[in-house]
Amino acid sequence: MPTNLQSAEYDTVGQKRWVWPGFAIPGVVWLSLLFLVPFYAIFAIAMGRIDPLLSRPVPEWNPFYWDPTVFADVLASLFGGQLGVVALRTVGYVFVACALCVLIGYPVAYFVSRKAGRWRWIWLLLILAPFWINYLMRMMSWVNLLSPDGQVNQVLAAFGATNLPDWLAGHHFVVILGLVYGYIPFFILPLFAALDRIDDATLEAARDLGANNAQTFWRVTWPLSRNGVLGGLVIVMLPMFGDYYTPNLLSGSPRTRMIGNTIDQFINQTTSQGAVGAALTIVLMFFVAGLMVYYLASINRATEEARR
Amino acid sequence: MVYHPRQNWTPAGRRRLYTRRDFLQRAAVLGIAVPVLPSLLAACGDRGGSEGGELVVGTPSNPVEQPLFDDNTAIESGLEAEEGPLQLYNWADYINPDLIPVAEEALGVGIEIATFFNEEEAISRLASGEVAYDVWFPTSQRVAVAVAAGLIQPINHDYLPNLANVWPQLADPYYDQGSRYTVPYVTYTTGVAWRNDMADSADIEGQENPWDVFWNPKYAGQLGLYDSFTDTIAMALFRNGVADPSQASEADLEAAGDALVELIDLVDVRYTIDGAYVGIPEGRFALHHAWSGDLVNSQYYWPEDGDYTVTRYLWPASAEGSSVNGPISNDTLAIPVNAQRPVLAHKFLDFMLDENNALENFGWVGYQPPQINLTPAYLIENEWVADFLEPALVTPEDFERDTAWVQGPLDAETEALWSDQWTRANSGG
Repeated sequence: MPTNLQSAEYDTVGQKRWVWPGFAIPGVVWLSLLFLVPFYAIFAIAMGRIDPLLSRPVPEWNPFYWDPTVFADVLASLFGGQLGVVALRTVGYVFVACALCVLIGYPVAYFVSRKAGRWRWIWLLLILAPFWINYLMRMMSWVNLLSPDGQVNQVLAAFGATNLPDWLAGHHFVVILGLVYGYIPFFILPLFAALDRIDDATLEAARDLGANNAQTFWRVTWPLSRNGVLGGLVIVMLPMFGDYYTPNLLSGSPRTRMIGNTIDQFINQTTSQGAVGAALTIVLMFFVAGLMVYYLASINRATEEARR
Repeated sequence: MVYHPRQNWTPAGRRRLYTRRDFLQRAAVLGIAVPVLPSLLAACGDRGGSEGGELVVGTPSNPVEQPLFDDNTAIESGLEAEEGPLQLYNWADYINPDLIPVAEEALGVGIEIATFFNEEEAISRLASGEVAYDVWFPTSQRVAVAVAAGLIQPINHDYLPNLANVWPQLADPYYDQGSRYTVPYVTYTTGVAWRNDMADSADIEGQENPWDVFWNPKYAGQLGLYDSFTDTIAMALFRNGVADPSQASEADLEAAGDALVELIDLVDVRYTIDGAYVGIPEGRFALHHAWSGDLVNSQYYWPEDGDYTVTRYLWPASAEGSSVNGPISNDTLAIPVNAQRPVLAHKFLDFMLDENNALENFGWVGYQPPQINLTPAYLIENEWVADFLEPALVTPEDFERDTAWVQGPLDAETEALWSDQWTRANSGG
């Protein structure tokens, strides 16, 4: 009697072949409903028309009638036009903010995961606790702290400082600090997990083989945590690129405007220009998707290397 | 081309709730159209879209009656009020919450408030026909669009005895002569707000062009404009001496954009939405572009040890010595065409037009109701508004000034030009 295990209908553990892929169905349905369809809708708006009476964009669902003019205008403006300035500034802000996340977040994650001993969960909790408060609320409190007669300036004045700065007057570094503060726990968390996974035995082995502390770190810990850093960066980068509350609240100056502000403007203010906002959203999504692909490729490479 | 208002015009979801096209569009949004994509594409063969009715836009010098339509008539007189709850569709924080229980008692029904974030969102949702609110709070500049798109119904004045309390200029307003579709809610002007401890009043008062103070390098880092493209572009146009921003040429707009770009380096301008009522009390701004109602409101945002009496406001259209124009406007109350409780809605409109209720609402909202008896003198005498803020109060005659400008709707093409300049102005170098 032939066993079921060899038949085409069953896999090696005796389950019908469709069972395991079947578990993916809810995820596929979820993604198509809440990602693909809205994404298509954004395309339909970017390539659509304007309702002449209500002055608002009308989505064009049929790709045969898509009108790419708005899209072309947006691309032209991004490369060498007005929007290019904003896009470049956004990339710069995110880049600096990410670098700061690494500089600040790495030592914190390292300490909590490797040095804090049995208090590590308390430390982790303390780091995360402020972030149970809504992002907007936290930015609002920064506004209070940094306003001309706010607590920061009060402290400075107490130390005898005169000529107190107006922190909210449109400084690049204030916006960048806001971004870092807002998103850094999402960098620390995956990095913590990556550092936490490193087996102490590998570090001991490095020491036994004669590596000093610095060598152990650079040749063992850092390479093993690199994907944690990348993962954390991807997680903080994505919302930073779309952020518009931070520059709005902490500055409001045209100097510190980010691409998210511009998208917000086209969608919520000059609403008849909604198609421009939609086109800009698509470009931003592709750009961010490019970063995501780099991350996935790098993870993939690391897994391959680990297997060898 | 001029269409008869109803020619070619079937607002989605108004007359026929489910045309095939509408259904498929909605289905596509819900994501259930994926299996029926071919039929969806077929349904889109009709390229027309929604052709507009004719917009009838009035100005104070050229008042208009909004057209009436056979298929959109006011309710009969003397009907029984419906069961509640009454559904309001309003901006956030734009009605005194303490007034709601009073209204509930007066009307004998519960009241529910839904809010919109901006007017475009409100119009989109009302035009989709997916929502049915009983009372909506449109600005006067959208009334023509709302009528042409069949979003609001005519009102029956038999239910509105309190309309007699309203300034004649707004009981029979330029944008809707005879108050066929709307009643006025609150009025406001747009001008300059400042603190006289941080800014020199002489730089604004008595100036020939008070708007020009925003270009005064003395106030670098201390001044803000509204993060609102219509208000701010219009302001820059006035400052450049354009009398009617609605008629601004492309060159005018370009010059206004240049002027705003100049502000970035000249005065470190910032764009805010709360700068007038929060930023000034907090000392973040010495001066700010301001809606008069925001400034009246600002008194509640001062820190306890702050001195509210330094607040000042000026509307360039009425200021002595000023030769430039300034915006004035008002918001309205209207009844959506698909309101489920039109009789109750009329009663609510009348409730809001009652003098005491209007005053009570003003005390919280800060925007002034156009009531005949609630004159600036009365409001100041009874300490609703401090005397130094008298310039922030609107009088009925203000609407008749040659220097007063009312904002009309921008068509999509013009808005694109304004939008381009706005993008330039706020992108930074």
